[in-house]
Amino acid sequence: MTAAGMVTTPQTVSLSAIGLTHRYGRRIALQPLEFELTSPGVVAVTGANGSGKSTLLRIVAGILRPSGGALSFALLGKGIKPLERRHAIGLATPELAFYEEFTARENLAFLAETRALAQPGQAVQNALECVQLETRADDRVADYSSGMKQRLRLASAILHRPAVLLLDEPGGHLDAEGRAVVERIVRQESTRSLVLLATNDPEEMRLATKLVELNGRGLGGPS
Amino acid sequence: MPRSWSSSMAAVWAVLRKECRSEWRTRYGLNAALLFAVASLAAVSFSAGRLGERTDVLAALFWIVLLFATLASMSHAFVRETENRTMLLLRLVASPTEIALGKLLFNLVFLLVVEVAIVPLFMVLMSAPPPRWGSFLTVLGLGTVSLAASSTLVGAVIAQTRGRGALFAGVSLPLLLPVLAAAVSGTKAQWIGVGLDGEIRLLIAYAVALLGMSLLLYEHLWED
Repeated sequence: MTAAGMVTTPQTVSLSAIGLTHRYGRRIALQPLEFELTSPGVVAVTGANGSGKSTLLRIVAGILRPSGGALSFALLGKGIKPLERRHAIGLATPELAFYEEFTARENLAFLAETRALAQPGQAVQNALECVQLETRADDRVADYSSGMKQRLRLASAILHRPAVLLLDEPGGHLDAEGRAVVERIVRQESTRSLVLLATNDPEEMRLATKLVELNGRGLGGPS
Repeated sequence: MPRSWSSSMAAVWAVLRKECRSEWRTRYGLNAALLFAVASLAAVSFSAGRLGERTDVLAALFWIVLLFATLASMSHAFVRETENRTMLLLRLVASPTEIALGKLLFNLVFLLVVEVAIVPLFMVLMSAPPPRWGSFLTVLGLGTVSLAASSTLVGAVIAQTRGRGALFAGVSLPLLLPVLAAAVSGTKAQWIGVGLDGEIRLLIAYAVALLGMSLLLYEHLWED
């Protein structure tokens, strides 16, 4: 990773979970889980609705502290604390919302500037082109459809070329063309990054070379 | 992988610019603050007439108008992120301290803009005696820093709670009372021409304490 916080070359990332679990109050959101993953590659995280796919991605991203067990996140053999992981990850999740009074380009420019990228304008343009939003890039996000917002989420996740790309239901709200964009991003990023795909879509699961199956009972889970 | 000082400052600057641009586009706080200030000063002016001799009332009225015109808007710097579900986006690109410092700077800029409008309006409508500008601006500046620091800190703490409105008032009141007392006393003192070293020392100490406490607390704000 460069001083500007942008990954430009393949990075070896290793993720390992030991007895990783999470509760929201009394409800178990993630049943104890063990895995070991290294980059590059694509890992599908599957499981019933409510089995903890999104929770796992939030823990990996460092924005949720697990209730039990441990997750180690190492880049080039060096452990990274949860609060510092934001430099190494890109997260696209349905909960991610943007500033509706800004255009897509302004939203991405803000993210690029906050991440102190070396060439923010170029990074924004590349990300917009990658998700095919460049023709509507100067429209306010308030005017976007749900599919366009999903493309913007994907653009924000790849903006800084992260070492770990976390995609939560990436094909949600997308048309066939949008799903092709997702497939292209996953294939492209998987040559240099670790891509975690939280999905139950067979087409998206097909992109993965490894599977992490969550055993939670989902909606019928214990409270 | 801690960030360099310059990268952190770039993040703070980006958050500040984002806040200014957002306020400029939505006029969320500025219009409300100015409307409150103009309406309350006009109402007092109509009912009580000119208060030129009553420097004790003038000093209290000045800080009450400033406080109520700006407080709700400043707490919204964080609450808005929660209500619009953009907090996650912010957390993915900046540390809690970088976010909070950006918002603190925005609140300072916001207060300065409101003060630029309120001070001359207050002087004219209330027929206030000409201030001793050095002392007046010192008290105003220190009070502004404390006001911005406390509302940023409280706004950050309550942003992800339920019943934010009630909490904001309840938590802000004890934090703001010492600032208000010293600022009102200092403002009155500069008008009647007595020394205000005690008030200035208190305001400096309080501003430093608030900023220091904020910097210590911000990093632990959103640990889920």
